Amino acid sequence: MMLSFFTDLFTQDFMQRALLAGLLLGVLAPLMGSIVVIRRLSFIADTLGHFSLVGVSVSLFLASIGWSAFFDKPLYLGIVFSVIGGLLIELFRRYYKNYKEISMPIVMSLGAALSAIFFSLSKRTGSLYNYIFGSILTITNYYIVLIGITLFMVLLLFLLFGKQVISVSFDESSAKFQGINLSLFQISFIVVLSIAVSVLLEAAGVLLVSSMMIIPVAAAMKVGWSYRSTLVISILFSELSVFLGLWGAYSLRIPSGASIVAINIIVLVIVAFIKRIVTRKRVKIVNPTLE
Amino acid sequence: MRIDLVNLSFAYGHRIVIRNMSFSLNNGDFLVIQGKNGSGKSTLIKCLLGMNPVKSGMIFYNHEDIVGFKKWPTIGYVAQRFEDFNYEFPITVNEILSVSQVKRKDSSEKLKLLDRMGILPLLNENINNLSGGQLQRVFIVRAMLNNPELLILDEPTASIDQENVTYFYKAVNELHAAGVNIILISHDDVVETLDFTHILTVDSESDYSFQTKTEYFPHKEGEAK
Repeated sequence: MMLSFFTDLFTQDFMQRALLAGLLLGVLAPLMGSIVVIRRLSFIADTLGHFSLVGVSVSLFLASIGWSAFFDKPLYLGIVFSVIGGLLIELFRRYYKNYKEISMPIVMSLGAALSAIFFSLSKRTGSLYNYIFGSILTITNYYIVLIGITLFMVLLLFLLFGKQVISVSFDESSAKFQGINLSLFQISFIVVLSIAVSVLLEAAGVLLVSSMMIIPVAAAMKVGWSYRSTLVISILFSELSVFLGLWGAYSLRIPSGASIVAINIIVLVIVAFIKRIVTRKRVKIVNPTLE
Repeated sequence: MRIDLVNLSFAYGHRIVIRNMSFSLNNGDFLVIQGKNGSGKSTLIKCLLGMNPVKSGMIFYNHEDIVGFKKWPTIGYVAQRFEDFNYEFPITVNEILSVSQVKRKDSSEKLKLLDRMGILPLLNENINNLSGGQLQRVFIVRAMLNNPELLILDEPTASIDQENVTYFYKAVNELHAAGVNIILISHDDVVETLDFTHILTVDSESDYSFQTKTEYFPHKEGEAK
């Protein structure tokens, strides 16, 4: 089975597309994930994913009643609804000032409920499975181009606004004194994150979108020694998981998103384990000198 | 930089914390704000930083109303505790300092400030390995890198061990001597070694007194002469 994965990788178009898409997403997900993790908004990707799904289901519903000319690409409404979800989160965060996290489950449940309603109205509940667990093996060239454009945009934003990203992510309250317009940053962040989540949805599915963004970062922050090194390590972990995950998905005929995330978790556990051993050893070496 | 407070009042609900406070600071001034916990020091600072909306009275920076004030980078602010700072994610001192508006070619400025604060060897250290006092000094350097006209330090000695306080005050005096206006908040008894020019004492009855250093230390000032 291992061999057939590699031979198919070289001979089968769909495998090459899946790998390319996976590797691009493997960079995009932890880049966005790092901001989300630092700002302690780990649930936001999940929430936006659920709202993106509303856009998908509304698209399918509109297509089912004959508007297919406009809504044959559910991704676009997915992005629009994801942005709406992000704005709703911001609204609830301001309403419950001391319980900001309440905003996430409220918006997430609303997203889940609306998706269920429109999927059922569209009578296309069959496609729901793909959107929940992702299907990178059926990805089209069209999506790969979209992923590429999104990644390029995000890389450009990191290059141009790296200072602002660091400043707001680590220390929102002092961003003003660095001359940063916080409201403008928030809105731009929500829009870019919404696009990234919607693009990831196709490959990872709504349940696993945030895992692809957050788990590699969670593992990397235990071994990184600086912001930059942590970003690079998280991308390496993410790419490793995409590659091994695709292999697993192909060989065992299981959903790709699930298999990628499972490898992500394995990486996290191994990192935590090794880190523990290394730290213990260091404590042993340091202690005698202290006495 | 000139600062004018005109009849500033502030209340949380019906509890009045600041009542009709007025004072002015000019270029070269160094103000210490002193008072026990709960006397409204932090409330006043939040007003000065535009974090508490000013509803009664007015605050001016260089004759510009704080409502609608945009030139915040001219003010450096170092918070008392960094509850809002997201720890644990790795980031080095140098990376934190990179957010300031100082140009890359001016990095000698950065190194000089780090040296003055005694944390130059920590430049490439992960901040999660720093002590509270070291971190505080990193944030002071970050605030200083924008060349602010005014530096606001909220209880800066809170996380510094006693033996380093004198050393820290010396560093603050040097900044003041270099031409930076300073507002320093303290709940300890303020020491003479600090080269402040004015002192604002606030109490929980929302009373306050604004004095010069000579008015505050008349007896000791006399002895010195």
